Amino acid sequence: MGYERIPRVRAFAARVAGLFGSRKRDSDLDEEVQAHLQLLVDRFVAQGISREDAAAAARRQFGNTMRLQEDRREVRTLVSVEDLGRDLRYALRSLGRSRAFAAVAIATLGLGIGASTAIFSVIDNVLLEPFPYKGAARMVFLRIHDSARGEEAGRQGYTSNEILEFAEQNHVFDGVIAASDDLVLYKQREGAEPFDGAHVTPGTFEFFGMPALHGRVMQPADYLPGAPPVFVMRYKTWIERFNRDPGLLNKTFELNGVARTLIGIMPPRFSWYGADVWIPETPGREVATGYAGMPARWFLLGRLKPSVSKAQAAADATVIANHLAKISPQDYPAHFQMSVKALGDTVVGRFESTLYTILAAVGLLLLIGCANVANLMLARATSREKEFALRAVLGAGRARLLRLLLVESLVLAISGAALGVLIAWGGLKSIVAAMPQDTIPSESVIELNAPVLVFTLVVAVLTAVVFGLAPALQAARRDLNDPLRDSGKGVLGGFRTGRMRDTVVVIEVAVSLTLLVGAGLLMRSFVALRDVHLGLQAEHVLQTQLSLPADRYKTAAQVQEFFEPMLARVKTIPGVVDAAESSALPPYNGADSKIEILGKSHQDEWHAVLQNISEGYFRVLRIPFKTGRAFSEAEINDARKLAVVNETFASTYFRGEDPIGHRVKLGALETLADPTREPWFEIVGVVADVTNNGLQDSVLPEVWVPYTVTGSGDKVLLVRSQQIPMALMNDVRQAVWVTDAGVALAFPGALEDRISQQLYAGPRFGFLLMTIFGCLGLILVSVGVYSVLAYATARKTHEIGIRMALGAERSDVVRLVIRAGLRLVTAGVAVGLLVSLLLGRAIEAELSRGVKPYDPETLVGTTLLLVATGALACWIPARRAARVDPMVALRYE
Amino acid sequence: MERAKEGEMTDAKRSEVLQGTLDLMILKTLHALGPQHGFGLARRIEQVSRDVLQLNEGTVYTSLLRLLQQEWIAAEWGTSENNRRAKFYSITARGEKQLAVETENWERISGVVGRVLRLEGES
Repeated sequence: MGYERIPRVRAFAARVAGLFGSRKRDSDLDEEVQAHLQLLVDRFVAQGISREDAAAAARRQFGNTMRLQEDRREVRTLVSVEDLGRDLRYALRSLGRSRAFAAVAIATLGLGIGASTAIFSVIDNVLLEPFPYKGAARMVFLRIHDSARGEEAGRQGYTSNEILEFAEQNHVFDGVIAASDDLVLYKQREGAEPFDGAHVTPGTFEFFGMPALHGRVMQPADYLPGAPPVFVMRYKTWIERFNRDPGLLNKTFELNGVARTLIGIMPPRFSWYGADVWIPETPGREVATGYAGMPARWFLLGRLKPSVSKAQAAADATVIANHLAKISPQDYPAHFQMSVKALGDTVVGRFESTLYTILAAVGLLLLIGCANVANLMLARATSREKEFALRAVLGAGRARLLRLLLVESLVLAISGAALGVLIAWGGLKSIVAAMPQDTIPSESVIELNAPVLVFTLVVAVLTAVVFGLAPALQAARRDLNDPLRDSGKGVLGGFRTGRMRDTVVVIEVAVSLTLLVGAGLLMRSFVALRDVHLGLQAEHVLQTQLSLPADRYKTAAQVQEFFEPMLARVKTIPGVVDAAESSALPPYNGADSKIEILGKSHQDEWHAVLQNISEGYFRVLRIPFKTGRAFSEAEINDARKLAVVNETFASTYFRGEDPIGHRVKLGALETLADPTREPWFEIVGVVADVTNNGLQDSVLPEVWVPYTVTGSGDKVLLVRSQQIPMALMNDVRQAVWVTDAGVALAFPGALEDRISQQLYAGPRFGFLLMTIFGCLGLILVSVGVYSVLAYATARKTHEIGIRMALGAERSDVVRLVIRAGLRLVTAGVAVGLLVSLLLGRAIEAELSRGVKPYDPETLVGTTLLLVATGALACWIPARRAARVDPMVALRYE
Repeated sequence: MERAKEGEMTDAKRSEVLQGTLDLMILKTLHALGPQHGFGLARRIEQVSRDVLQLNEGTVYTSLLRLLQQEWIAAEWGTSENNRRAKFYSITARGEKQLAVETENWERISGVVGRVLRLEGES
């Protein structure tokens, strides 16, 4: 009829309008109907029928008034609230009947949404938007490195003169500030406490554009000579060290012997240079002595002008550096390059690729999850074809069927989404707890990322809805009789959507294998890292950094006067095996120094790591000697110019020759606050290599000299104990403070923990997360394989019955089903292996030396694991199929 | 085949008015007689089609609602001949156009169906 083709837009508009003001119209209609009935009655009465019979006849002739009301509502509005309520009740009842299906679908959706949101939140907060500063994306620092050596070996610390040159001569920055480290001693009654301090140049707080939380930030007047000394404190320090004391502001602290007034406490996310306290300083042209007697080095931070690229900035900085190199050639390599790095590069570094790898993994997980849900919905909808056909035959319109399914899918999707939000929230908390410290900018605050949550929610909900509805659309379009006739028992019956489900399983298996291979590679890589021999024994060693008040400890003699009696006191503590001083803590050792060896000429610059130590050092860390001997106590006390080198030093610079007795010049000692003239040292021993450059890179040449030759450099106390190292902490602190109460013990802890934190925390984090995601993927895949096979087997009950009636053994049936399942798994594995090999390059940077992205053991192992899991998932439906009683199966025909 | 066709024909005699046809008849009635209320429309259709169609008078109102929604007819409260308040329906310009289209459609189809039926009757 032509009326079918009515303009739908107008009808729809009328329906929308019909959602409102329905009561008035209902009463209008009532009135009309009543009038109509009355007229009919009048007519019948006029024909001579009794009034009662007339009323009955009128109602008969008019038809069902209730039906009319419903017709009217159906025509007039979209969906009534009653209908929705009914659909909802129906959906809940129907899902309640298949609880396992509902649980799996909801859990799958929840995991996908939760995991990807949590990880992306971390990435966004750590990598994409870590800094709360305005224009942080344009904040850069300069690194200068020898063209012959790697960029990592370059320096980003500059003298105050260099800083001023860069600040004044550049054409690329619209703001330049600088900061330099200082260990600040805060003097209290019983002893001194250390703060991480930073000296900041004028304009620093204006540069970041953040106001103080309490009090005020520094102003230009605070930098003027003769201005009252002030400082600003970090929020975290205020909370942790001073219990959020509101009376702290405007108090005066004795910091490094100067009485300074606290003028401001910064907001939580301000942590420039990772300092506890910021102290104003105006750098001058002359070379100043900085932290621990070493020449003051400044870290420069500039803000690029809006239109300037990093490359342009590097070119501009190179011009300035070339000029500076002419004035002070000793500070510059013969050939050098300047590079411009983003502020975020200061911290994240290698951790960045770990995070991105995990993001990829989690994306794959979301994909598997969605595929699984799609598969489950498809299988379920297909097995309900008959139900829908029956409903359609009984008069349900297509729209009505779709609405039913839509409500059902939405119930699943929304429950899954709610679970996902919970998982995201909880997962984020545990990730933050597991995340290695010092690998992310201290400014970044990791919180749930709302846009990402919304995105994953939409993806997951769409998956559920689309795949829930697709089969229904198909069913509604088909001949109603078809599914009713097709009892689902035929050999060929019901394979229309079979290919789609198979494809989904193959993709799932492939994705899961990729994930597992990634997790396997990271695990192997982590195990390989643990196998790297550090060259020292860190167990039972207590370490703490000592901060000596700079005003009283300037010369080597002054430092020695403190350490000699202090070390002697520590050694007498019960439980202490040995104690030693050192200028650096493993696993990253010492400062870089240029070296010369008497009688050896060379073109390129020779470098070595320089560390000064007391005589017990090699004993405390159990570092074995290859040839020669250690320093004796007398040699240390006399500050003899002797040196011990490591094997790498010997093999690099002596090439098989015995280094004992040779003399080496350590250039770095000439530039210290108390310079050593003619720093030539005689080599007396060679020790085995100790990790001094991280686990991934090779050991650098290293030289150890007596700590008594210089008063400069970090001071670290190492104590070997018989029991748990931290148990000695109080006794050690007393021994230090009895010797000098002005010395602070900073960052005390077990050396083992420190090494573990610095070397293994990052890789462990990556491998743990990948393993968790790999296992989740595996679980999801087994669910996927199982659901497809179980469904297919159920549909083929009749075929199996016939086969068994014709003489097939139960084992034949099992084999039949398992073969069908393994076919899918094998196809998935083939695709997955291919993808893994292609993607292997992506995580190559993550892997430690010796582990290749195509590591055969990992590939074979994960493949076997996946196939075994797949076989297990096949086995359950196979067993069920084998239990089919042929008589029962056939009787259903 | 033969039996099925017979059955369908007897069904058609007794069956209620098909949806589209009722809409068409109402449009035509309003076109011919001018504004009418629901009762009047029912009487008119009854009168014209007595013994052929069994009209469930309630469906007239469903049909009227549909036509109103398409804006092919308009409604207005008025007073009936026996001084009751009643809603009067009248055909709109759009309705007239639709009536012309539908009438032509109907005639064409019924003509074709008639010819086909005659053909079969002859063979």
